[in-house]
Amino acid sequence: MFDFLGSVLKNVISKPATRMYPYETREAMDKARGALGEIEIEKCIFCGICATKCPSIAIKVDKAERSWEFNRLKCIVCNVCVEVCPVKCLHMDKAHLGPLLAVEKTKRNGPPKPAPAAKAAESTN
Amino acid sequence: MIKTTIPFGPQHPVLPEPLHLKLVMEDEKIVEAIPAIGYVHRGLEKLAEVKDFHQNVFLVERICGICSVQHAMAYVQGIETMMNIEIPDRAKYLRVIWAELHRIHSHLLWLGLFADAFGFEALFMQCWRDREKVMDIMEATSGARVVVSVNVVGGTKRDISSEHLAEIIRVVDQVKEDMKNMENAFLNDYTVKHRTVGVGHLTKEQAYSLGAVGPMARASGVAQDLRTLGYAAYNDLCFDMVVETAGDCWARTAVRLKEVYECVRLIKAAIDKLPKGDFAVPVKGNPTGEVISRVEQPRGEVLYYIKGNGTKNLDRLRVRTPTFANIPTLLVMLPGSQLADVPVLLLTIDPCISCTER
Amino acid sequence: MIENIAEITKDQLLGETQKMSGQNYRFVTTSCVDLGDGNLDVLYHFDKDAKLQNLRIKAKRGEEVPSISKIYLCAVLVENEMKELFGLNVTGMAIDYGGHMLLTPEALKNPQSKITIEQRGEK
Repeated sequence: MFDFLGSVLKNVISKPATRMYPYETREAMDKARGALGEIEIEKCIFCGICATKCPSIAIKVDKAERSWEFNRLKCIVCNVCVEVCPVKCLHMDKAHLGPLLAVEKTKRNGPPKPAPAAKAAESTN
Repeated sequence: MIKTTIPFGPQHPVLPEPLHLKLVMEDEKIVEAIPAIGYVHRGLEKLAEVKDFHQNVFLVERICGICSVQHAMAYVQGIETMMNIEIPDRAKYLRVIWAELHRIHSHLLWLGLFADAFGFEALFMQCWRDREKVMDIMEATSGARVVVSVNVVGGTKRDISSEHLAEIIRVVDQVKEDMKNMENAFLNDYTVKHRTVGVGHLTKEQAYSLGAVGPMARASGVAQDLRTLGYAAYNDLCFDMVVETAGDCWARTAVRLKEVYECVRLIKAAIDKLPKGDFAVPVKGNPTGEVISRVEQPRGEVLYYIKGNGTKNLDRLRVRTPTFANIPTLLVMLPGSQLADVPVLLLTIDPCISCTER
Repeated sequence: MIENIAEITKDQLLGETQKMSGQNYRFVTTSCVDLGDGNLDVLYHFDKDAKLQNLRIKAKRGEEVPSISKIYLCAVLVENEMKELFGLNVTGMAIDYGGHMLLTPEALKNPQSKITIEQRGEK
């Protein structure tokens, strides 16, 4: 009947296994998928692959308007958009975000289309 | 005697799942029990026909959080059979490692909840404390604690580095050590045994004819575990089935508890034999034809029936989850038992209603 | 591509299921597939020693199909599900939820059948 007493006593004298969250937070793991980070819009070529591959239709890309729109509340943080991006302008943040108070859509407009010569110079970087 | 009908659930302190039971009582004894579901039906099978077959991997993972790796495994193995894709050996072993880590975390969750149901708070905390270690290692290797999203058609998404492999071995050894301590409390404690031994008895014949799966069936002496089919890398890992014969709540606890040891052994064997090389192959084309894919989940056998039509969308994705097969056993187990035993008895089928209704 | 599949008619269903039961098969589940134009494929999966044995019947939506729940009680849930989601008229079920096991009274009828889905709102 007292099989567990040893463990209980050990727990009484040892440090707690829990953390005083939110005063004390754990560093996110290196590979953690926390939240989709800010897009590097100047690199984006508006190909729309991220929007078609997204399983939860959270990304919307308008090629004509050169805009990239992201609905955080639809995002399931699966990392697919980051993996398929041909110019690697998306990246995943390690830390996850806190609660939102309102529906928030991130819309980013790219710079106007550069001249072909400038674009070629950019791609060599 | 006057019969009273007592509704049990869909909101009940012992069960976070919305399962409703109509219990027809005579005094304190149940004479009839009718389960009712339908509180969390999401129409996922229909949604799977709209998404393309790569996106469906993320969809099926969200059928159930606790067994997401095995859901994805069943789905991608089905698609791979349809498209004749031979995945690299390393991917097969990586899948086994993640699947068994998932099984450990699922069983620890259940053991904790079960301890809570019979009122042993310290044991509950101890189980969940160990589960936290397993979830941390899953975050370190895959990026998320529960919905790990590592399986893709053609292999796995990520590799596990050698430092992480060493860390996994350290964690599972620690879990095994702690489990030894808890095993005594779960299986031999006088008060705990009063709540579990002889409660909810299910004979071998009943379990078989009612189609019970997983630990439910194995606790009644039905030797049936789909890991014996040898999917992924289970063929090379000399898998041992855990079977108990008592058929009561105690036996179901024992099966799950001993399976944790088996998981630890399988993980260490898989890490030991882990071949080098690629972990994914490129996938071209679309699936066509019909296939049935079965995988053993922590809760039992899951069946995927997939029908492709040569386009990127599937014609049909049918999922039969283990709890769906285990609910009919309640029709036999509940009548004759006491009302006070219902929470404990209900928990031993490890109900996952969001799985069941999809 | 499915191994061990036998095509039968719905009149043979009860007899074949009885035979399965006699051979000590375990009932796994059934799968219903909408083929379009109200044609349904119903697959019955049975298992013995981790080997599947399947039966396939063809039916029209609304057509009467006998319930196998008198032979395998555990088929009750899945037959109710087929009745609700596909509109297959399964008769003689041991427990009949009356079409409201998963769906509420105001829900769409036969939601799993081939229906066109309109995009609501913006994408």
